[in-house]
Amino acid sequence: MEYPREITVIQATTILISTIIGVGLLALPLFAVRTADTGAPLVTLFGIAIASTGLGLITFLGIRHPRKSIILYGEDILGKWLSRVPNIVIILFFAILTGLTSREFGAVVITAILKQTPLEVTVIVMLILAALSTRNDMNVFAYIHNFYVPFILAPALIIVALSLKNANSLYLLPVVGNEPGSYLVGGLTIAALFQGSFIFTMIIPFMRHPRKAFKASIWGMVIAGGLYLLIVIATVAVFGPVEITNLLWPTLELARTTSIPGNILQRLDIVFLSVWVIAVFTTLFSSYMFTVHSISQMAGLRDHKMLSFFILPIVFVIAMIPQNILHLYDVIEIFGRLGLILTVGYPLLLVSVDLVKKKVKKSGSIKA
Amino acid sequence: MGVSKHSWKTCLKIILIALVPGLFLTGCWDSDDIEQRATVLGISIDKVDDADGADLAQITGLGNQFPKPKEGLIRLSAQIAVPGRIPLGPQTGGAGVDQNPLWVISVVGYTLDDTIAVLQQEVADRLFFGHLRTIVISEEVAKDGVKRFNDYLRRNPEIRRTAWMVVSKGEAKKFMEVAPKLERVPTLYLSAMVENAVRLGTFPEDFIGLFWTRLQSKGQDTFLPYLELKKEDNIQISGLAYFKDDRMIGRTEPVEIGLFMAVTGEKRGGYEVFVKVPDTDVKVIVRAEHRRTSIIPTLRNGKPHFVIKIHYESTIAEGAVGIDLNNAEIVRKIEEEATKGVIEGTNRLIKKMQDEQSDIFGFGEYFRAKQPAYWNKKIQTKEKWREVYKDLTFDIHCTTKIRRVGTKAK
Repeated sequence: MEYPREITVIQATTILISTIIGVGLLALPLFAVRTADTGAPLVTLFGIAIASTGLGLITFLGIRHPRKSIILYGEDILGKWLSRVPNIVIILFFAILTGLTSREFGAVVITAILKQTPLEVTVIVMLILAALSTRNDMNVFAYIHNFYVPFILAPALIIVALSLKNANSLYLLPVVGNEPGSYLVGGLTIAALFQGSFIFTMIIPFMRHPRKAFKASIWGMVIAGGLYLLIVIATVAVFGPVEITNLLWPTLELARTTSIPGNILQRLDIVFLSVWVIAVFTTLFSSYMFTVHSISQMAGLRDHKMLSFFILPIVFVIAMIPQNILHLYDVIEIFGRLGLILTVGYPLLLVSVDLVKKKVKKSGSIKA
Repeated sequence: MGVSKHSWKTCLKIILIALVPGLFLTGCWDSDDIEQRATVLGISIDKVDDADGADLAQITGLGNQFPKPKEGLIRLSAQIAVPGRIPLGPQTGGAGVDQNPLWVISVVGYTLDDTIAVLQQEVADRLFFGHLRTIVISEEVAKDGVKRFNDYLRRNPEIRRTAWMVVSKGEAKKFMEVAPKLERVPTLYLSAMVENAVRLGTFPEDFIGLFWTRLQSKGQDTFLPYLELKKEDNIQISGLAYFKDDRMIGRTEPVEIGLFMAVTGEKRGGYEVFVKVPDTDVKVIVRAEHRRTSIIPTLRNGKPHFVIKIHYESTIAEGAVGIDLNNAEIVRKIEEEATKGVIEGTNRLIKKMQDEQSDIFGFGEYFRAKQPAYWNKKIQTKEKWREVYKDLTFDIHCTTKIRRVGTKAK
């Protein structure tokens, strides 16, 4: 493959950060508190650990096959025909993920700000925006992410810092939670929010120095995971574990409770939502890009541009399937957890097969 | 091939360029002119006799098809801002002074959303709650429980969590109609009243979001400011309305708010008390400036026990005839006397709250957080905590330091 290999470590890191930080931010504290009340930060940490494992495996594979993404080295490792099945499932999964993300975005917008605007419009506008952007090549993709990361991180951190005025550290104790439920289920649900990091497999072949991919994945996970953890800590400390169970989007409520001192802005939810629109866009952009790019690689196309609009109606229809917001969140939770089989389990399978193959080859060569 | 691909692309581009602005530019579903909004600044909720509901219009219910709930009727009074008449900045010229910037409307209904639907039926413009600052509920309503209102207030995304809910002595509607001199808009005066009280150290921070958090917490009961309307249309914070679950069960004296804040560790002090100078008849006024509190939950003989340490930093705000304050020894005695007063006062306040089974101090939260083993085994629920709270033992240690005496030398 004669890709221009121009993505730097910093760019790769920012791609990871802005891909991970996305729509899940709003409901994250609710998921965490549901499983472990005051132990929410610990569950989040557990989720981050699971997600990091997945990302670590992907990076490991990427470094071993520095010129290929998972679609292609899957073919190498499992064989061309056998790998078709997981590849198709991965593409379908990311198409569905894109659809659900845009739908969740639409649901928040129609509930919280634009009440009269039809849901279809907010969803389709966002999807068209992502589809248009995916017509660019990988370098522009990296630039766009790189550009937006500060706009996502800075306001989010400011909101967290200002919200701590109303925080009560008692709500964070005991650290393991009073009535901890299943840490495993909670951890998996939260790990599912980090699934966007899977697209890193598409980035590595474009990196100038694929060997440094680990550096990017560690920093990406630390920064994005750190922000998620901070947000969980802040929401739990401000609202207390029991009140959060009453809130559909605790993070949004956190922004609503927070004001800039001196009556400049009495509520920060509008600031937060505009930041969040960018965060959702970058996430959507990544998963859309991954879907389109993977289809083109599987089909052996040189260019993915023509596919951008081809899959738009499919993604849109997927977005419109859930009947209401409660149904939507059920679907998201189930799909998220099942997705982990793909984003953590499948790489694990590939790594083991790859290593076994290598050993067999080695012993074979020694014999010969 | 190349040419045809190119023209196909251009064609698509042109179609898209034509389509996309259409999506954005026609997207005026939510355009809402400010003059066409009925901005609600404050609401009050009173209880109404059920007999008054007999002639209610069928707006949210229709006989048996949409049956009405069993809860008692309420009267909601809303203060709606009249567009263009809210003065911004200082008053210039005499024009418009006579025009009332507000319109107060009352409606009757069963629940909060019921009354709001009825209200909307009577107001031309769309009601907008984004600027709702204060919710006044009458003592009667508070004593019946506030849970029935919380659902709507949480569910409506327009309502701010930083709005305040306050309990009024007597009819709440009167608070919507007062005309305080300091502000043109009564509700803004009302919210300034409570928000400034926080800044002056006379009331703890208690906006509606915090009120809900405390209401929901397992080891804590909630409270609200208790306001009383005085003769000159001025408003007095005349205590702290304490709750058991969502029902108000009583109120404290204003100065007890200071003691309450001492126990909960609110840093800023704002109350002034008379302190008798030992061995004399003279009383000086000591003002609390700053406090530090630590609450240590322990187990003593297997039972929950609290050690509360309070430290006051105070100043002498007013001396008295016949006493020379130019003497460190006397100041030290005043410190001791003030300490004694605080210990007695907080003791009495905590005992009173224990009798009422209202844990407004949040001792339960300390216990849940710091003694999780005992909590998880023996307590777990709010009801159980209330029983334990009733017989809770505690020690109060207090120290007072008078650092300053003002600008008078004697």
